[in-house]
Amino acid sequence: MAITRPDFPLPDVADELVAPFFAGAAAGELRVTRCRACSAYVWYPVEACPDCGETAIEWVAVSGRGTLFSWAVVRRAFLPAFADRVPFVTALVALDEDPAVRLCTLVVDLDLDDDLAFDRGIATLHADAPMEVVFRPLRFTTVPDREVIVPMFHLARGHES
Amino acid sequence: MSAPDWGHAVDLRDVGGEVAIVGIGETAYSKASGRTATEIGAEAAERAIADAGLEPADIDGLAWSGAFPGFGAAEFHAHFGTDHELWTTPWGGGMAWAGTVPSLAADAIRDGKARHVLNVFAVAWATQRAEMTGGPGEVHAQQSLKQNLEVPFGWFPQPIYFATIMRRHMLEFGTTREQFGAVAVTLREHANRTPSAVFHDKPLTLDGYLGAPMLADPLCLYDSCPISDGGAAYVMTSVERSRDLARPPAVVLGVGEGYSGSGTHWSQQRAFTSTPQVFSAPGAWAMAGVDPDDVDVLTCYDPFTIASIMQIEDMGFCAKGAAGELAASGGLRFDSGRLPYNTHGGLLSHAYVLGIAHVVECVKQLRGTADAQVAGCEVAVYGGYTGHMASTLVLAKAR
Repeated sequence: MAITRPDFPLPDVADELVAPFFAGAAAGELRVTRCRACSAYVWYPVEACPDCGETAIEWVAVSGRGTLFSWAVVRRAFLPAFADRVPFVTALVALDEDPAVRLCTLVVDLDLDDDLAFDRGIATLHADAPMEVVFRPLRFTTVPDREVIVPMFHLARGHES
Repeated sequence: MSAPDWGHAVDLRDVGGEVAIVGIGETAYSKASGRTATEIGAEAAERAIADAGLEPADIDGLAWSGAFPGFGAAEFHAHFGTDHELWTTPWGGGMAWAGTVPSLAADAIRDGKARHVLNVFAVAWATQRAEMTGGPGEVHAQQSLKQNLEVPFGWFPQPIYFATIMRRHMLEFGTTREQFGAVAVTLREHANRTPSAVFHDKPLTLDGYLGAPMLADPLCLYDSCPISDGGAAYVMTSVERSRDLARPPAVVLGVGEGYSGSGTHWSQQRAFTSTPQVFSAPGAWAMAGVDPDDVDVLTCYDPFTIASIMQIEDMGFCAKGAAGELAASGGLRFDSGRLPYNTHGGLLSHAYVLGIAHVVECVKQLRGTADAQVAGCEVAVYGGYTGHMASTLVLAKAR
């Protein structure tokens, strides 16, 4: 069945399982889930820790630093909402606190401080490049008058090339 | 090296040598046909039953994919005008289940619940595409974690998942676009020899591949399969019963089944550039008593070139990271004498009918009736890889 939620593909910030992630982003904090019992990071958020079985899952703030695990330069929109956004870079960033935790994210600021074209910007991306989080509003023209602050990532300063 | 622990194998009963595929049927494979999956499934079923030399009333077991309603027991009876009792399972049809359903059929046949089991799969996604959110990605978009933590960031649908996996494979193993291109070109050459293939009359060169538009760099148009309408079916019975039937049986020697521990969340799979064939294939080789070296034809579920590369490695046909070289050296060609692979063209160039035509191609190769026939084919294998599941089906000529 097609997705009919009117603000799709914005995230559903009321969804209990992920609400703290977006509340954190709105507060300028990157939050992921961890097991209170064994302290292992558990991502994605789940009901019970897969390592020790405890249900004491808590949201904790992390540094927002990570490395570029892999990425794709999206040139064709697979959803109408992305039609005016291509080309863009979607990526997996592995968190410094536990590289097994990978965030799906948008890589931004590829044109950096000068007029580098997008294609030159993506040429600066490389395996395991240090990344840092920025919190930006996500908007789609197909969802008028709505935005959600989400964590995006850019190359860590000093590692642009 | 310790055993991989990012997934697990299913401990299946040894069904080697118990059952065989004795009938196959296919519909036309096409772009949007305007037909429903039910119509397509009925036609495939009809043809498979006829190919086996049986009547619809002889079919007393029916398998389909529960995730793809279209041709189940009610539709079977409505189409054939029958009302007899059917043993049924929704854990069949296409995708990885096309490789594991022979194990379920073997149990049903052993237990006397069925004598002739029909497995059917049909899809009309090309016709339905405009109504789906993200096409075949719709089922993923419906999962709340993906809908909230992946889709908003553009990490959706499958072409993006596999573009990201493809890039990591390139970074880890030095796999090149030319090597992925060799997979696409080889499969297109096989499709060019196969009249029923959607891309039968459309040649593809490596230059054509390299110059094609990027969908999600590094994944280009020809790394990705089309959306198709079509279906196929096959009939299974005991090896003993198969001796009375017209067609040479394709004997099920081994079945394997494995799962990734991170479910269908590819983003979190620890062994990011591997498939659960790591867990599925070893069990199938052991049950069948064959090695990868004994395999004459391999077909794998190949929505993207990277899915071929990874499964060929993970099933043990070469070292991890070496499948790109195998492809680029021509080793996947039907006439290579090495690893004839997706000899009908695969999902990539034959049709996106989600694996069922791969099993049919294995049977044709064993019968000696394939369009790109491999000389002296004795052992043919299907590798299914869909979602977090992998299956391995080893078929052989009767000995």
